[in-house]
Amino acid sequence: MKIVVSLALSFLLFASAIPGDGDPVKEAYTVETIQMPEGLTAETGGITFLPDGRLVACFIRGEVMIYNPKTKEWKLFAEGLHEPLGIIAQSESEMIIMQRPELTRVKDTDGDGQADLYEKVSDDFGLSGNYHEFNYGPVKDKDGNLFISLNTASPGGNVKPEIRGKLNSLGRDNQPGLYEMYSVVPNRGWVLKISPDGKLHPYASGLRSPNGLGFDKKGNLFVTDNQSDWVETSTLYHIKEGHFYGHPASLIWNKGWKRGNPFVIPLNELDSMRTKAAVLFPQGIMANSPSQPLSDLTEGKFGPFAGQLFIGEMNRDRIVRVMLEEVGGELQGACIPFIDGHGLRKGNNRLAFSPDGSLWVGQIAFGWSGDRGIQRIVYNGTPPADIYSMNLTKDGFDLTFTQALDKAKALNPDHYKFRHYYYRYQRKPKNEGADKSTQQDIRDVPVKHIKISSDRKKVSVTLGELKPGYIYELKLGDITSAEGKPLANKLICYTLNNLLPAKGLNVK
Amino acid sequence: MKVFNLFLFVFLFHLQLSANQLNDSVTNISIKAIAGMQFDLVRFNVKPGAKVKLVFSNADDMSHNLLITKPGTRMAVVNAALKLEEKGPQLNYIPQSSDVLWSVPVLSPDQSQSIVFNAPSQPGAYPYVCTYPGHGFIMYGVMYVTSDGKMPDMKNDPNIPPSRQQDQDKALSSQKDNHASHTSAKNTLHPYEPVAPYLYRIFMEDASPAAIAVRLPKDLSYCWDAGTCRLRYAWSGGFVDNTLVWKGHTDANAKILGTVFYRDQTGYPLRIGTREGNPEVEYKGYRLINRYPEFHYTIDGKDVYELILPKEDGNGLKRSFRIPDAGGSVWFLTNQDDASADYQVSAGTMENGILKLSAEQARAFSVTMTNYSLVYARKRK
Repeated sequence: MKIVVSLALSFLLFASAIPGDGDPVKEAYTVETIQMPEGLTAETGGITFLPDGRLVACFIRGEVMIYNPKTKEWKLFAEGLHEPLGIIAQSESEMIIMQRPELTRVKDTDGDGQADLYEKVSDDFGLSGNYHEFNYGPVKDKDGNLFISLNTASPGGNVKPEIRGKLNSLGRDNQPGLYEMYSVVPNRGWVLKISPDGKLHPYASGLRSPNGLGFDKKGNLFVTDNQSDWVETSTLYHIKEGHFYGHPASLIWNKGWKRGNPFVIPLNELDSMRTKAAVLFPQGIMANSPSQPLSDLTEGKFGPFAGQLFIGEMNRDRIVRVMLEEVGGELQGACIPFIDGHGLRKGNNRLAFSPDGSLWVGQIAFGWSGDRGIQRIVYNGTPPADIYSMNLTKDGFDLTFTQALDKAKALNPDHYKFRHYYYRYQRKPKNEGADKSTQQDIRDVPVKHIKISSDRKKVSVTLGELKPGYIYELKLGDITSAEGKPLANKLICYTLNNLLPAKGLNVK
Repeated sequence: MKVFNLFLFVFLFHLQLSANQLNDSVTNISIKAIAGMQFDLVRFNVKPGAKVKLVFSNADDMSHNLLITKPGTRMAVVNAALKLEEKGPQLNYIPQSSDVLWSVPVLSPDQSQSIVFNAPSQPGAYPYVCTYPGHGFIMYGVMYVTSDGKMPDMKNDPNIPPSRQQDQDKALSSQKDNHASHTSAKNTLHPYEPVAPYLYRIFMEDASPAAIAVRLPKDLSYCWDAGTCRLRYAWSGGFVDNTLVWKGHTDANAKILGTVFYRDQTGYPLRIGTREGNPEVEYKGYRLINRYPEFHYTIDGKDVYELILPKEDGNGLKRSFRIPDAGGSVWFLTNQDDASADYQVSAGTMENGILKLSAEQARAFSVTMTNYSLVYARKRK
């Protein structure tokens, strides 16, 4: 009898496993783990691809290696770099690499497959020796300009007796109890542009831990930043020349700075100076340490999200997806998990699309929560049921889905739980945790009306009056595709900076 | 007799009382959250049913909570906390689950909070963990409920973070000195075996943050500073230990595994065109020649190339310079105080420790330094 029962049980378990989410045939995406070479501590600082499909990766201990996915072989290209955190392959024999002391062109000039020339591209920025002064990038625009970003220093660390660059102590307000990142050597907390002639141009300021740069198809530059002091939740910024993004330490490197201590400029003045994030990632909900934004330029090879941004998350097994729209002349939009779990590790630091359309993910821990290694995410050709886009309307949102929906479920108001809240722009109170982040004015927002398009792919939700400056968070219920496929992701957060301009007004 | 009985009674009663007091005595445990997402105390033991007062204090600069879970459920609880999604912040990332036995909500730095509970009567390994998103994967420890107070060997304790098992490893290896290093598996630093010459760009002491550590054959090494474009110092013995730097999340320098035998004290050793003033230098890069780096930099706009090799007998360094277009005289300064160093030069005239070269001679010249501290150290062997 016991045998019969357990047999029946195992049959049930087995049977229930078939049609569910675990079925690899029906999964839209699969995560594969890349075998790393023996002896490598795969703290991945940067990844990129050669046109022939070989991967180039750099690692914290200074190695640059080339991986051939066909033969699964790794080859050493270069070594000895200081904490390389980003890489561009100019060709199979020339890489541009962002390392701690400089942006470096690394070349194999004798054709033996290993680099022999390490030329400085630019080191025209400061180094205090503080562990947190990471350097990110480069990314290249269509005119050949390179963009990098420099992390501020951490109050958890010091400056070395010898530094590079002239120290300006105004970049730190050394008050006891304040846990504030600082910028006492040139251009920490800035995005910098290096023109093809090798000159470095300060480009945008006000960043804290900008661990990720990326261009979209239209040439917009995006940088992610980590939350904490001043900006309470992590961000995706649309970077524009001369703009300031909120962390005051870096202001002192503006030419002719005469305002003294930037930390005591009145908050409302700083607030009016700053450019707000195109997207906020609610802390503890969407992402705590977003990394590189990567535009999906695969034109469908990676599934239905062409043109949108994928962003790595360090703290958990997640890649985030971002969709943007222009409202009132500025980009703003929504973030949603793209993939959670599925064998994906945490520490998702660097992203690159292979020419075959798979998304490769380089992972790092480096003393924080994370993982080591490289994985890739493959689109299996079965489209997911997911939110494709979330667009602002005059009194609510249009949600467009990748597939036609089950109409009855889509029209059920119980399946839409909206909340709104905002994060205060503020100097971090004394003795508050670096990752403390408080949602202000959390309120449920009732849904007034739901409408579905004739193709059943677009749902228009009416909420009523909308508040700029708030995040509108939507948790979807049991909505499925017309075929009964559950939604891959149900939580989406829209950053509402601007309302739609009123109709009839002549907006320039 | 009665009196005696009463006495006995009182005596027994008293005994009974003290026993109760013993049972009621509280086991005090103090756990701190410390930098690097870890608990200072990664394990402790209590007796089954013991009354425990646990004081959790946050000595880190991030936010942390502390949850004690049923045996074997740490990861399930960590994942349940992640699945709280939008509810996480308000619930202090504490999932509603029967696996969570006791909890302290998210604390800011310098805050502390205590909980009092009776330890489970069932012996076992009860994990404690911070479920702030991302922390739970590495920030945990274990409460052992045992009547005999025994805990597994820390080195092989699967209930504590691997990094803390290694702590124990290190402690052991330093105690046992050579023995442990022989028995432990060869810990490879790279996917290849580095063979001198090779280099690391890494933080070094007594140099700018743009330092370069170069390993030479013959157990020699030097620190060349790309921030100031000069050789800073050289040492003999082992190369460097980068463990702390590579660990991340902390200020650290590479540790020199040898004895410094040379330190540049000239201020700046090369002058082109004029001996006076502080030259403007700019770092350009390096080329590997037979894997030796030849540094390229400019002094007042003039290109300089510098290649450093071990002296053939291993007793010093041979520094080869190329200045293709000096346009005037070149001076190379040696330390005024290094009486134990001897210099041989391939060209120019040496006077009072200063080498003077014509522009023509400066196209290619070398300065070979013999360090008698090395000569005599070798003689002793």
